[in-house]
Amino acid sequence: MGRVTSPSAPVATTGYPWPIESTRLANGLRVVVSEDRTSPVVCVNLWYDVGSRHEPAGQTGFAHLFEHLMFEGSQHVRKTEHMRLVQGNGGSLNATTNPDRTNYFETMPAEHLELALWLEADRMGGLVPALTQETLDNQREVVKNERRQRYDNVPYGDAWLRLLPLLYPQGHPYHHATIGSMEDLNAAGLDTFKAFHQQYYAPNNAVLTVTGDVAADEVFRLAEKYFGAIAAVTGIPAAPDGSLPIPATAPVRETVTAAVPAPRLYLSHRTYPFGTPGYDAITVLATVLGNGRGSRLYQRLADGKRIAQPDYIGSYGVDLAHAPAPLIITATAKDGVDVATLEAGLAEVVQSLADEPVTDDELNRAKALLTTAWWRGVATVGGRADLLGRYATQFGDPAAAGSRLPRWLAVTADDLVAAARETLSPESRVTLTYLPEESA
Amino acid sequence: MTLITVRPEPGAARPYAFPAVRRISAHGGTVIAAHLPGQVLATAVLLLDASAARETEGREGTATVLAKCLEEGTTARDSAAYALALEGLGAELSPSVDWDSFRVGVAAPAPLLAGAVRLAAEAARTPKLDPADVIRVRDDEVAALKMDWAQPGPRADAALRADLFAADGRYRRPLHGDPASVAAVSVDDVLEFHRSWMLRPGVLLVTGDLDEVDLDVLAEAAFAGTSGGLVAPEGPLGVPVPTRPHVLLVDRPGSVQSTLRLGHRAPERATPDYVPMTLAATVLGGAFTSRLNHQIREVKGYTYGIRGSYGMTRRAGRFEVAASVQTAVTGPAVRDTLHEIAETQATGVTEAELDVARSWRAGQLSVEMQTPGAIAGALATLVVHGLPDDYYERLRREYLEATVEQVSAAAAKHLAPGGLTLVVEGDAAVIRDELAEFGEITDVDL
Repeated sequence: MGRVTSPSAPVATTGYPWPIESTRLANGLRVVVSEDRTSPVVCVNLWYDVGSRHEPAGQTGFAHLFEHLMFEGSQHVRKTEHMRLVQGNGGSLNATTNPDRTNYFETMPAEHLELALWLEADRMGGLVPALTQETLDNQREVVKNERRQRYDNVPYGDAWLRLLPLLYPQGHPYHHATIGSMEDLNAAGLDTFKAFHQQYYAPNNAVLTVTGDVAADEVFRLAEKYFGAIAAVTGIPAAPDGSLPIPATAPVRETVTAAVPAPRLYLSHRTYPFGTPGYDAITVLATVLGNGRGSRLYQRLADGKRIAQPDYIGSYGVDLAHAPAPLIITATAKDGVDVATLEAGLAEVVQSLADEPVTDDELNRAKALLTTAWWRGVATVGGRADLLGRYATQFGDPAAAGSRLPRWLAVTADDLVAAARETLSPESRVTLTYLPEESA
Repeated sequence: MTLITVRPEPGAARPYAFPAVRRISAHGGTVIAAHLPGQVLATAVLLLDASAARETEGREGTATVLAKCLEEGTTARDSAAYALALEGLGAELSPSVDWDSFRVGVAAPAPLLAGAVRLAAEAARTPKLDPADVIRVRDDEVAALKMDWAQPGPRADAALRADLFAADGRYRRPLHGDPASVAAVSVDDVLEFHRSWMLRPGVLLVTGDLDEVDLDVLAEAAFAGTSGGLVAPEGPLGVPVPTRPHVLLVDRPGSVQSTLRLGHRAPERATPDYVPMTLAATVLGGAFTSRLNHQIREVKGYTYGIRGSYGMTRRAGRFEVAASVQTAVTGPAVRDTLHEIAETQATGVTEAELDVARSWRAGQLSVEMQTPGAIAGALATLVVHGLPDDYYERLRREYLEATVEQVSAAAAKHLAPGGLTLVVEGDAAVIRDELAEFGEITDVDL
């Protein structure tokens, strides 16, 4: 085992003042440990480098369906036993899938660390023999209900599904949504799903992170014990290349008339990939623009002109790392305000980022809010494990996580103007408009 | 490849301890603080006896409108200056209203907490409440409620509450009011509510690294200019349960799912059965492996998730099952759900199920209580329900020691499948006929 130790640094200069130790097993599994004895709990987190960006045409929704199948039993864990063992020993667990990756995590009372590692190893190395047609059929139905509940049955619920194909061209790995097509899920047989697991759920395609009440040496020993015998997989296909020009070169517009209570706009731009200096500027810029009552959007449109509903205005970046990531700006019209007025107002505020320099007060406000948000994110062992898993997976170095907050704090007003001028012009804008049915 | 075939045994359990609680009386109020060494952020919550239950009937939502007015400027500065001052510290105000309290919370890096508490208190105690602002905020809140009510769920929740608490005044209407009651809130309602309930000292909860925080300074900021004492809480509202189930149908034309809210009244939070009731509900509908989630999601695939729980406040409680199910299986989903409730009521829980429930509830006391915000919420529970500082150690012990007999007895006593109100919000034209078997159907227009 090769071993790297990253000494902790003082709080003022890093966003990660806890120790980080990492190693790599012979089968390629990267293991990251961050000890903290404050609470008697541990988090076990696995990032698999497979997301919807890896899905070829005709197999959309596969990565996400796997997130479900992984809870349905494996070689030595009976169906439904995974949940029973984690919750039945006091733990909290979940999993998520996005365009970039799939993650699995459980926070447990520390004495159950070994159980969590055993469960994760069994479903990494032993899912396929346990996967049955009945489980597949059942979880397809659950996913269809997930789609109904989260996207289809909620006003504006399909905005993200509509924005992606407007932002990313046909064939781009981010073009289709992670929830995928129900037709693709229906069309595939058991063997196709088994092959998907064997392809991507490999130790050399994963990062195991453990944070909390445990020493690194102990985790390394247990990782070898439980994961060491799982064979590496060769020839894992890379996702299609996500390179795209920054910014987009033509505006796109879609208008949806639907059962929504008020007109709403989503403006979106492709910016820079997460992890780049450009995206750090976008993160600060999104906060200046649309996070909090002191933001430009709130001050000028919710307060100020009073054309936008105060509870439904804001902007945020979606932290995707493998192609230019989107910035999304949204506002909902107040009663009696027509959507053209709202769009003109939004466009004017967005343009102000390029034309009207961000003041020291605005910049300090944004950085203070981002600082609080950062520390809130790492306040739990679960938040820390996911963060380290992300940086190990996407940038090859968990310790790089500590530099994000200092990089945000180093962004200057000039950086914001430059980012706004490059990425936020009307010529590169996606505009998605929702109109209530009766005003059609 | 060789996976380890045998499930590992647990290691030695770490001792459980709730953070050390410190109480001080200063400047006319009480500060209750929990020390979390090493935490960068600290949280403060001003906990006031200004709950939704204090609102006037017909003006439900007054406290919520007031909560949203707090940042519309204070007697010291206008709303833009206030936002800049508070957010410049990295803090945001989170005012919230529930059935037992009004909370004004802030979180910030610990060295900045005093400044954030000063601003939070400024907003809570001395908001400007300019009449034009109050009217605008009220109208915005009506619009926001209409947005919320366009989603599946809030109308079903309102229908259930109106039915369960039909004879209980304020408790009949939703926590934040409904679009009509909020529209009726006047400037005077808001001013009067503030004058009556927001100027009493209340309690300041503080969590974080207390070595970085001066509690006396926080107390001075939180309690300056306050007066008035505690108002004795009113008694519990009782547990009336009807003798037959009935169906309330809320139409949502074209809905691809039906929203289920099945419920009946239950005891208030002070009930001596709190622990066995919580464990019974965990077995029935709390854990992922609960009977309901297993049957309705994992076996039948009718839903993305289903939950059953007791909600208990100082004066009232209710049992509720909540789920969204595919429209085409609405009838079967209701039937299976009723079966699981009845079965649990009649035959209780098994040792294997209870073992999961106890360990989960006990473990969650450490797993879900890592942050200053979570610990502040736990302190608020102590204050609102008059519980001792060692309550969480005691609660953990009671969870772990609860027996099958105790939990089964609680299920038998506190589940009433024969008295359920079955609210179904969905495409009435499609689902009406299949609901007839569950009881008399009443259409509810909201």
